[in-house]
Amino acid sequence: MASLKDIRARIESTKNTQQITKAMKLVSAAKLRKAQNNITNMRPYALTLRKVIADIAVTKKVTHPLMEQKAEVRKVLLVVITSDRGLAGAFNSNINKFAEAYYKENAGKLESIEFLFIGRKGADYFVKKGYKAIDAITRLDKDISYDLASHVADRLMKQYLSGEYDEIRVIYNEFKSAIAQEVVCETILPIDIQKTSFESTGPAPGFSVDMIFEPAPEQIIAQLLVKHFDLQVYRAMSESIAAEHGARMTAMENATNNAKEMINSYTLTYNKLRQEKITTELTEIVSGAEALK
Amino acid sequence: MFKLTLVTPEKRLVVDQEIDEVTAPAFKGELNILPGHAPLITTLETGVLSYKLKGQPEQRVAISWGYCQVNPLGVNILAEYAAVSADLQIEELKKAIAEGERKLGVESLDEEQWTETQRDVAKARTGMEIFPGTKS
Repeated sequence: MASLKDIRARIESTKNTQQITKAMKLVSAAKLRKAQNNITNMRPYALTLRKVIADIAVTKKVTHPLMEQKAEVRKVLLVVITSDRGLAGAFNSNINKFAEAYYKENAGKLESIEFLFIGRKGADYFVKKGYKAIDAITRLDKDISYDLASHVADRLMKQYLSGEYDEIRVIYNEFKSAIAQEVVCETILPIDIQKTSFESTGPAPGFSVDMIFEPAPEQIIAQLLVKHFDLQVYRAMSESIAAEHGARMTAMENATNNAKEMINSYTLTYNKLRQEKITTELTEIVSGAEALK
Repeated sequence: MFKLTLVTPEKRLVVDQEIDEVTAPAFKGELNILPGHAPLITTLETGVLSYKLKGQPEQRVAISWGYCQVNPLGVNILAEYAAVSADLQIEELKKAIAEGERKLGVESLDEEQWTETQRDVAKARTGMEIFPGTKS
Protein backbone atom coordinates (compact mmCIF):
# COMPACT_ATOMS: atom_id res chain seq x y z
CA MET A 1 0.00 0.00 0.00
CA ALA A 2 1.30 3.38 -1.01
CA SER A 3 1.94 5.77 1.80
CA LEU A 4 0.24 9.15 2.13
CA LYS A 5 3.36 10.88 0.98
CA ASP A 6 3.58 8.75 -2.18
CA ILE A 7 0.02 9.54 -3.12
CA ARG A 8 0.53 13.22 -2.50
CA ALA A 9 3.52 13.19 -4.82
CA ARG A 10 1.52 11.40 -7.47
CA ILE A 11 -1.28 13.94 -7.27
CA GLU A 12 1.23 16.75 -7.62
CA SER A 13 2.85 15.27 -10.70
CA THR A 14 -0.50 14.57 -12.32
CA LYS A 15 -1.45 18.17 -11.67
CA ASN A 16 1.70 19.30 -13.44
CA THR A 17 0.91 17.12 -16.40
CA GLN A 18 -2.58 18.53 -16.46
CA GLN A 19 -1.24 22.04 -16.55
CA ILE A 20 0.99 21.22 -19.47
CA THR A 21 -1.76 19.58 -21.48
CA LYS A 22 -4.04 22.48 -20.72
CA ALA A 23 -1.45 24.95 -21.95
CA MET A 24 -0.85 22.90 -25.08
CA LYS A 25 -4.54 22.87 -25.76
CA LEU A 26 -4.72 26.64 -25.55
CA VAL A 27 -1.73 27.04 -27.82
CA SER A 28 -3.26 24.69 -30.37
CA ALA A 29 -6.54 26.55 -30.21
CA ALA A 30 -4.78 29.81 -31.02
CA LYS A 31 -2.81 28.23 -33.84
CA LEU A 32 -5.93 26.58 -35.15
CA ARG A 33 -7.65 29.92 -35.42
CA LYS A 34 -4.75 31.27 -37.41
CA ALA A 35 -4.69 28.26 -39.69
CA GLN A 36 -8.41 28.51 -40.26
CA ASN A 37 -8.01 32.16 -41.19
CA ASN A 38 -5.38 31.13 -43.69
CA ILE A 39 -7.79 28.76 -45.35
CA THR A 40 -10.59 31.28 -45.52
CA ASN A 41 -8.26 33.93 -46.90
CA MET A 42 -7.15 31.60 -49.64
CA ARG A 43 -10.62 30.64 -50.73
CA PRO A 44 -11.53 33.64 -52.92
CA TYR A 45 -8.19 33.39 -54.68
CA ALA A 46 -8.61 29.69 -55.30
CA LEU A 47 -12.19 29.94 -56.50
CA THR A 48 -11.52 32.79 -58.90
CA LEU A 49 -8.45 31.14 -60.29
CA ARG A 50 -10.21 27.86 -60.90
CA LYS A 51 -13.17 29.51 -62.53
CA VAL A 52 -11.04 31.54 -64.86
CA ILE A 53 -9.06 28.52 -65.99
CA ALA A 54 -12.23 26.59 -66.61
CA ASP A 55 -13.81 29.50 -68.47
CA ILE A 56 -10.84 29.98 -70.73
CA ALA A 57 -10.25 26.29 -71.24
CA VAL A 58 -13.84 25.66 -72.26
CA THR A 59 -14.56 28.74 -74.35
CA LYS A 60 -11.21 28.77 -76.08
CA LYS A 61 -10.75 25.00 -76.23
CA VAL A 62 -7.27 25.27 -74.89
CA THR A 63 -5.36 22.28 -73.59
CA HIS A 64 -2.09 22.01 -71.77
CA PRO A 65 0.26 19.13 -70.89
CA LEU A 66 -0.60 19.55 -67.22
CA MET A 67 -4.25 18.88 -67.98
CA GLU A 68 -3.90 15.84 -70.19
CA GLN A 69 -4.63 12.45 -68.72
CA LYS A 70 -1.99 9.87 -69.55
CA ALA A 71 -3.25 6.88 -71.49
CA GLU A 72 -1.69 4.49 -69.02
CA VAL A 73 -0.64 5.24 -65.48
CA ARG A 74 2.43 3.28 -64.50
CA LYS A 75 4.55 5.47 -62.28
CA VAL A 76 2.95 7.19 -59.35
CA LEU A 77 4.36 9.60 -56.82
CA LEU A 78 2.68 9.79 -53.45
CA VAL A 79 3.05 13.00 -51.52
CA VAL A 80 2.35 12.21 -47.88
CA ILE A 81 1.68 15.17 -45.63
CA THR A 82 2.02 14.67 -41.89
CA SER A 83 3.06 16.89 -39.02
CA ASP A 84 6.50 17.38 -37.52
CA ARG A 85 5.40 16.80 -33.99
CA GLY A 86 3.40 14.18 -32.22
CA LEU A 87 0.88 14.39 -29.40
CA ALA A 88 -1.92 14.93 -31.83
CA GLY A 89 -3.94 11.79 -31.31
CA ALA A 90 -4.34 9.57 -34.33
CA PHE A 91 -3.51 12.41 -36.72
CA ASN A 92 -0.27 10.99 -38.07
CA SER A 93 -0.93 7.31 -37.69
CA ASN A 94 -4.12 7.60 -39.74
CA ILE A 95 -2.15 9.06 -42.60
CA ASN A 96 0.66 6.55 -42.33
CA LYS A 97 -1.70 3.61 -42.23
CA PHE A 98 -3.65 4.91 -45.17
CA ALA A 99 -0.53 5.51 -47.24
CA GLU A 100 0.85 2.10 -46.42
CA ALA A 101 -2.42 0.39 -47.28
CA TYR A 102 -2.53 2.30 -50.54
CA TYR A 103 0.97 1.23 -51.35
CA LYS A 104 0.29 -2.43 -50.63
CA GLU A 105 -2.90 -2.39 -52.64
CA ASN A 106 -1.39 -0.80 -55.71
CA ALA A 107 2.23 -1.88 -55.67
CA GLY A 108 1.44 -4.93 -57.77
CA LYS A 109 -0.52 -3.06 -60.42
CA LEU A 110 1.90 -0.26 -61.04
CA GLU A 111 5.44 -0.18 -62.25
CA SER A 112 6.58 1.98 -59.39
CA ILE A 113 5.26 3.98 -56.49
CA GLU A 114 7.54 6.53 -54.92
CA PHE A 115 7.16 8.66 -51.86
CA LEU A 116 7.73 12.28 -51.04
CA PHE A 117 7.22 13.16 -47.41
CA ILE A 118 6.22 16.49 -46.04
CA GLY A 119 6.48 16.41 -42.27
CA ARG A 120 8.80 14.42 -40.07
CA LYS A 121 6.35 11.91 -38.63
CA GLY A 122 5.53 10.33 -41.96
CA ALA A 123 9.15 10.26 -43.07
CA ASP A 124 10.28 8.57 -39.84
CA TYR A 125 7.55 5.97 -39.97
CA PHE A 126 8.28 4.87 -43.51
CA VAL A 127 12.03 5.01 -43.23
CA LYS A 128 11.82 2.72 -40.23
CA LYS A 129 9.77 0.29 -42.28
CA GLY A 130 12.35 0.36 -45.03
CA TYR A 131 10.49 2.35 -47.68
CA LYS A 132 12.60 4.68 -49.76
CA ALA A 133 11.63 8.28 -50.24
CA ILE A 134 12.79 10.58 -53.01
CA ASP A 135 12.88 13.33 -50.44
CA ALA A 136 11.52 14.41 -47.11
CA ILE A 137 10.67 17.98 -46.35
CA THR A 138 10.67 18.38 -42.61
CA ARG A 139 11.15 21.15 -40.10
CA LEU A 140 7.89 22.80 -40.82
CA ASP A 141 7.95 24.10 -37.29
CA LYS A 142 7.27 27.59 -38.48
CA ASP A 143 4.01 27.96 -40.27
CA ILE A 144 4.14 26.92 -43.87
CA SER A 145 4.23 29.70 -46.40
CA TYR A 146 3.07 30.05 -49.93
CA ASP A 147 6.73 30.32 -50.93
CA LEU A 148 7.53 26.88 -49.59
CA ALA A 149 4.48 25.39 -51.24
CA SER A 150 5.34 26.86 -54.60
CA HIS A 151 8.88 25.50 -54.36
CA VAL A 152 7.55 22.02 -53.74
CA ALA A 153 4.98 22.47 -56.49
CA ASP A 154 7.62 23.64 -58.96
CA ARG A 155 9.66 20.60 -58.36
CA LEU A 156 6.74 18.19 -58.66
CA MET A 157 5.68 19.84 -61.87
CA LYS A 158 9.12 19.53 -63.41
CA GLN A 159 9.31 15.86 -62.55
CA TYR A 160 5.85 15.28 -63.92
CA LEU A 161 6.52 17.09 -67.17
CA SER A 162 9.79 15.28 -67.71
CA GLY A 163 7.84 12.02 -67.53
CA GLU A 164 9.27 10.68 -64.29
CA TYR A 165 5.73 10.16 -63.06
CA ASP A 166 2.41 9.62 -64.75
CA GLU A 167 0.38 10.68 -61.82
CA ILE A 168 0.99 12.55 -58.59
CA ARG A 169 -1.27 11.97 -55.64
CA VAL A 170 -1.32 13.68 -52.33
CA ILE A 171 -2.46 12.12 -49.06
CA TYR A 172 -3.29 14.49 -46.24
CA ASN A 173 -5.71 15.19 -43.43
CA GLU A 174 -8.50 17.42 -44.55
CA PHE A 175 -9.78 19.86 -42.01
CA LYS A 176 -13.49 19.22 -41.46
CA SER A 177 -14.01 20.97 -38.17
CA ALA A 178 -12.03 21.60 -35.01
CA ILE A 179 -12.76 18.07 -33.84
CA ALA A 180 -12.93 16.14 -37.10
CA GLN A 181 -10.29 15.38 -39.71
CA GLU A 182 -10.57 13.15 -42.69
CA VAL A 183 -7.80 11.39 -44.56
CA VAL A 184 -8.10 12.17 -48.24
CA CYS A 185 -6.16 11.02 -51.26
CA GLU A 186 -6.34 13.34 -54.24
CA THR A 187 -4.82 13.30 -57.67
CA ILE A 188 -3.16 16.69 -58.12
CA LEU A 189 -1.45 15.99 -61.43
CA PRO A 190 -2.73 15.82 -64.09
CA ILE A 191 -5.08 18.64 -63.21
CA ASP A 192 -8.67 17.73 -63.77
CA ILE A 193 -10.18 21.14 -64.24
CA GLN A 194 -13.57 19.80 -65.28
CA LYS A 195 -13.98 18.00 -62.03
CA THR A 196 -12.76 20.78 -59.82
CA SER A 197 -14.54 23.69 -61.42
CA PHE A 198 -18.10 23.14 -62.43
CA GLU A 199 -19.42 22.09 -59.10
CA SER A 200 -20.33 25.73 -58.63
CA THR A 201 -22.03 27.93 -61.16
CA GLY A 202 -21.20 28.12 -64.86
CA PRO A 203 -19.03 30.81 -66.41
CA ALA A 204 -18.34 33.85 -64.29
CA PRO A 205 -20.71 36.77 -64.74
CA GLY A 206 -19.62 39.10 -67.43
CA PHE A 207 -17.43 36.53 -69.08
CA SER A 208 -17.64 36.81 -72.81
CA VAL A 209 -15.96 35.22 -75.73
CA ASP A 210 -14.96 38.61 -77.08
CA MET A 211 -12.50 39.20 -74.29
CA ILE A 212 -9.18 40.75 -75.09
CA PHE A 213 -6.38 38.40 -74.14
CA GLU A 214 -2.94 39.69 -73.33
CA PRO A 215 -0.91 37.53 -73.94
CA ALA A 216 -2.65 34.80 -75.94
CA PRO A 217 -5.09 32.47 -74.14
CA GLU A 218 -2.68 29.53 -74.38
CA GLN A 219 0.02 31.45 -72.55
CA ILE A 220 -2.36 32.73 -69.93
CA ILE A 221 -3.67 29.24 -69.31
CA ALA A 222 -0.13 27.91 -68.98
CA GLN A 223 0.68 30.51 -66.33
CA LEU A 224 -2.58 30.14 -64.52
CA LEU A 225 -2.29 26.36 -64.38
CA VAL A 226 1.08 26.65 -62.74
CA LYS A 227 -0.40 28.98 -60.13
CA HIS A 228 -3.37 26.73 -59.72
CA PHE A 229 -1.10 23.82 -59.03
CA ASP A 230 0.99 25.83 -56.55
CA LEU A 231 -2.19 26.70 -54.81
CA GLN A 232 -3.37 23.10 -54.65
CA VAL A 233 -0.18 22.14 -52.90
CA TYR A 234 -0.47 25.12 -50.59
CA ARG A 235 -4.08 24.25 -49.86
CA ALA A 236 -3.27 20.65 -49.00
CA MET A 237 -0.55 21.85 -46.64
CA SER A 238 -2.77 24.43 -45.01
CA GLU A 239 -5.57 21.94 -44.54
CA SER A 240 -3.13 19.56 -42.96
CA ILE A 241 -1.83 22.23 -40.60
CA ALA A 242 -5.32 23.23 -39.52
CA ALA A 243 -6.27 19.60 -39.06
CA GLU A 244 -3.11 19.01 -37.03
CA HIS A 245 -3.91 21.77 -34.59
CA GLY A 246 -7.50 20.61 -34.40
CA ALA A 247 -6.40 17.07 -33.66
CA ARG A 248 -3.89 18.22 -31.07
CA MET A 249 -6.47 20.39 -29.41
CA THR A 250 -8.85 17.45 -29.06
CA ALA A 251 -6.09 15.13 -27.90
CA MET A 252 -4.95 17.61 -25.26
CA GLU A 253 -8.49 18.23 -24.13
CA ASN A 254 -8.89 14.49 -23.56
CA ALA A 255 -5.57 14.30 -21.78
CA THR A 256 -6.59 17.15 -19.50
CA ASN A 257 -9.86 15.40 -18.68
CA ASN A 258 -8.08 12.12 -18.00
CA ALA A 259 -5.67 13.88 -15.70
CA LYS A 260 -8.59 15.42 -13.86
CA GLU A 261 -10.19 12.02 -13.38
CA MET A 262 -6.94 10.59 -12.13
CA ILE A 263 -6.50 13.41 -9.66
CA ASN A 264 -10.02 12.84 -8.39
CA SER A 265 -9.49 9.16 -7.81
CA TYR A 266 -6.12 9.75 -6.14
CA THR A 267 -7.61 12.39 -3.93
CA LEU A 268 -10.32 9.95 -2.88
CA THR A 269 -7.76 7.30 -1.99
CA TYR A 270 -5.68 9.92 -0.21
CA ASN A 271 -8.58 11.10 1.92
CA LYS A 272 -9.63 7.56 2.75
CA LEU A 273 -6.13 6.69 3.87
CA ARG A 274 -5.88 9.86 5.91
CA GLN A 275 -9.16 9.16 7.67
CA GLU A 276 -8.16 5.61 8.37
CA LYS A 277 -4.97 6.87 9.90
CA ILE A 278 -6.79 9.38 12.09
CA THR A 279 -9.26 6.74 13.21
CA THR A 280 -6.42 4.41 14.14
CA GLU A 281 -4.64 7.16 16.05
CA LEU A 282 -7.84 8.13 17.88
CA THR A 283 -8.52 4.55 18.84
CA GLU A 284 -4.99 4.29 20.19
CA ILE A 285 -5.30 7.48 22.22
CA VAL A 286 -8.69 6.49 23.58
CA SER A 287 -7.59 2.99 24.51
CA GLY A 288 -4.40 4.41 26.04
CA ALA A 289 -6.46 6.77 28.20
CA GLU A 290 -8.80 3.91 29.16
CA ALA A 291 -5.85 1.82 30.27
CA LEU A 292 -4.62 4.58 32.58
CA LYS A 293 -7.90 4.73 34.52
CA MET B 1 -20.84 50.43 -60.11
CA PHE B 2 -17.36 49.31 -60.87
CA LYS B 3 -15.80 47.12 -58.24
CA LEU B 4 -12.32 45.94 -57.41
CA THR B 5 -11.32 42.65 -55.81
CA LEU B 6 -7.66 42.19 -54.97
CA VAL B 7 -6.62 38.93 -53.35
CA THR B 8 -3.46 36.87 -52.77
CA PRO B 9 -3.24 33.29 -51.51
CA GLU B 10 -2.39 34.59 -48.06
CA LYS B 11 -4.65 37.59 -47.63
CA ARG B 12 -7.53 39.59 -48.95
CA LEU B 13 -6.71 43.22 -49.56
CA VAL B 14 -9.83 44.52 -51.24
CA VAL B 15 -13.09 42.68 -51.72
CA ASP B 16 -15.84 44.14 -53.87
CA GLN B 17 -15.17 47.80 -53.22
CA GLU B 18 -16.25 50.49 -55.58
CA ILE B 19 -13.40 52.25 -57.34
CA ASP B 20 -12.63 55.19 -59.56
CA GLU B 21 -9.45 53.95 -61.16
CA VAL B 22 -6.88 51.15 -61.21
CA THR B 23 -3.39 51.23 -62.66
CA ALA B 24 -1.68 47.87 -63.03
CA PRO B 25 1.71 46.68 -64.31
CA ALA B 26 0.33 44.53 -67.11
CA PHE B 27 2.02 42.17 -69.51
CA LYS B 28 2.31 44.79 -72.22
CA GLY B 29 3.12 47.71 -69.96
CA GLU B 30 1.25 49.97 -67.61
CA LEU B 31 -2.47 49.49 -67.85
CA ASN B 32 -4.95 52.07 -66.68
CA ILE B 33 -8.47 50.85 -66.06
CA LEU B 34 -11.41 53.19 -65.69
CA PRO B 35 -15.03 52.15 -65.23
CA GLY B 36 -16.42 50.86 -68.50
CA HIS B 37 -13.15 49.39 -69.77
CA ALA B 38 -13.50 46.70 -72.43
CA PRO B 39 -13.48 43.09 -71.13
CA LEU B 40 -9.90 41.99 -70.82
CA ILE B 41 -7.78 39.23 -69.40
CA THR B 42 -4.11 39.82 -68.86
CA THR B 43 -1.25 38.74 -66.68
CA LEU B 44 0.56 41.19 -64.43
CA GLU B 45 4.28 41.60 -63.96
CA THR B 46 6.16 42.56 -60.84
CA GLY B 47 5.48 46.20 -60.19
CA VAL B 48 3.35 48.76 -58.44
CA LEU B 49 -0.39 48.51 -58.57
CA SER B 50 -2.33 51.58 -57.59
CA TYR B 51 -6.01 52.08 -57.14
CA LYS B 52 -8.42 54.73 -55.94
CA LEU B 53 -11.38 53.60 -53.92
CA LYS B 54 -14.34 55.86 -54.49
CA GLY B 55 -13.71 59.21 -52.86
CA GLN B 56 -10.42 58.12 -51.28
CA PRO B 57 -6.78 58.90 -52.01
CA GLU B 58 -4.65 56.62 -54.12
CA GLN B 59 -3.33 53.38 -52.59
CA ARG B 60 -0.11 51.82 -53.76
CA VAL B 61 0.60 48.09 -53.51
CA ALA B 62 3.72 46.21 -54.58
CA ILE B 63 2.81 42.99 -56.36
CA SER B 64 4.67 40.21 -58.07
CA TRP B 65 3.11 37.97 -60.66
CA GLY B 66 -0.60 38.46 -60.94
CA TYR B 67 -3.58 38.04 -63.10
CA CYS B 68 -6.16 40.64 -63.94
CA GLN B 69 -9.62 40.25 -65.35
CA VAL B 70 -11.77 43.18 -66.37
CA ASN B 71 -15.45 42.62 -66.96
CA PRO B 72 -18.39 45.02 -67.11
CA LEU B 73 -18.91 44.66 -63.38
CA GLY B 74 -15.43 45.40 -62.22
CA VAL B 75 -11.85 44.26 -61.92
CA ASN B 76 -10.62 41.01 -60.39
CA ILE B 77 -6.97 40.87 -59.53
CA LEU B 78 -5.16 37.82 -58.25
CA ALA B 79 -1.63 38.56 -57.15
CA GLU B 80 0.84 35.98 -55.98
CA TYR B 81 2.34 38.45 -53.55
CA ALA B 82 1.15 41.86 -52.46
CA ALA B 83 2.53 44.26 -49.89
CA VAL B 84 1.48 47.69 -48.72
CA SER B 85 3.95 50.12 -47.19
CA ALA B 86 3.00 49.02 -43.67
CA ASP B 87 4.28 45.50 -44.45
CA LEU B 88 7.70 46.68 -45.53
CA GLN B 89 10.74 48.39 -44.12
CA ILE B 90 12.98 50.49 -46.29
CA GLU B 91 16.17 49.37 -44.57
CA GLU B 92 15.41 45.72 -45.11
CA LEU B 93 14.52 46.28 -48.72
CA LYS B 94 17.79 48.12 -49.31
CA LYS B 95 19.65 45.28 -47.73
CA ALA B 96 17.78 42.74 -49.87
CA ILE B 97 18.62 44.67 -53.04
CA ALA B 98 22.28 45.03 -52.15
CA GLU B 99 22.56 41.38 -51.23
CA GLY B 100 20.82 40.28 -54.38
CA GLU B 101 22.97 42.42 -56.61
CA ARG B 102 26.11 41.20 -54.95
CA LYS B 103 25.02 37.64 -55.59
CA LEU B 104 24.23 38.32 -59.21
CA GLY B 105 27.57 39.98 -59.73
CA VAL B 106 29.91 37.74 -57.81
CA GLU B 107 28.67 34.25 -57.21
CA SER B 108 28.31 31.68 -59.90
CA LEU B 109 24.66 30.75 -59.87
CA ASP B 110 22.89 28.18 -61.94
CA GLU B 111 20.09 29.37 -64.14
CA GLU B 112 17.36 28.71 -61.65
CA GLN B 113 19.07 30.51 -58.78
CA TRP B 114 19.86 33.38 -61.04
CA THR B 115 16.24 33.84 -62.07
CA GLU B 116 15.15 33.57 -58.50
CA THR B 117 17.63 36.11 -57.21
CA GLN B 118 16.68 38.48 -59.94
CA ARG B 119 13.05 38.10 -59.07
CA ASP B 120 13.83 38.84 -55.43
CA VAL B 121 15.68 41.99 -56.38
CA ALA B 122 12.83 43.13 -58.60
CA LYS B 123 10.40 42.44 -55.78
CA ALA B 124 12.42 44.49 -53.31
CA ARG B 125 12.80 47.34 -55.81
CA THR B 126 9.07 47.43 -56.31
CA GLY B 127 8.70 47.48 -52.57
CA MET B 128 10.83 50.63 -52.46
CA GLU B 129 8.66 52.32 -55.02
CA ILE B 130 5.50 52.31 -52.99
CA PHE B 131 6.91 54.55 -50.32
CA PRO B 132 5.88 58.18 -50.52
CA GLY B 133 8.45 60.36 -52.19
CA THR B 134 9.87 57.54 -54.30
CA LYS B 135 7.16 57.54 -56.92
CA SER B 136 8.51 56.48 -60.25
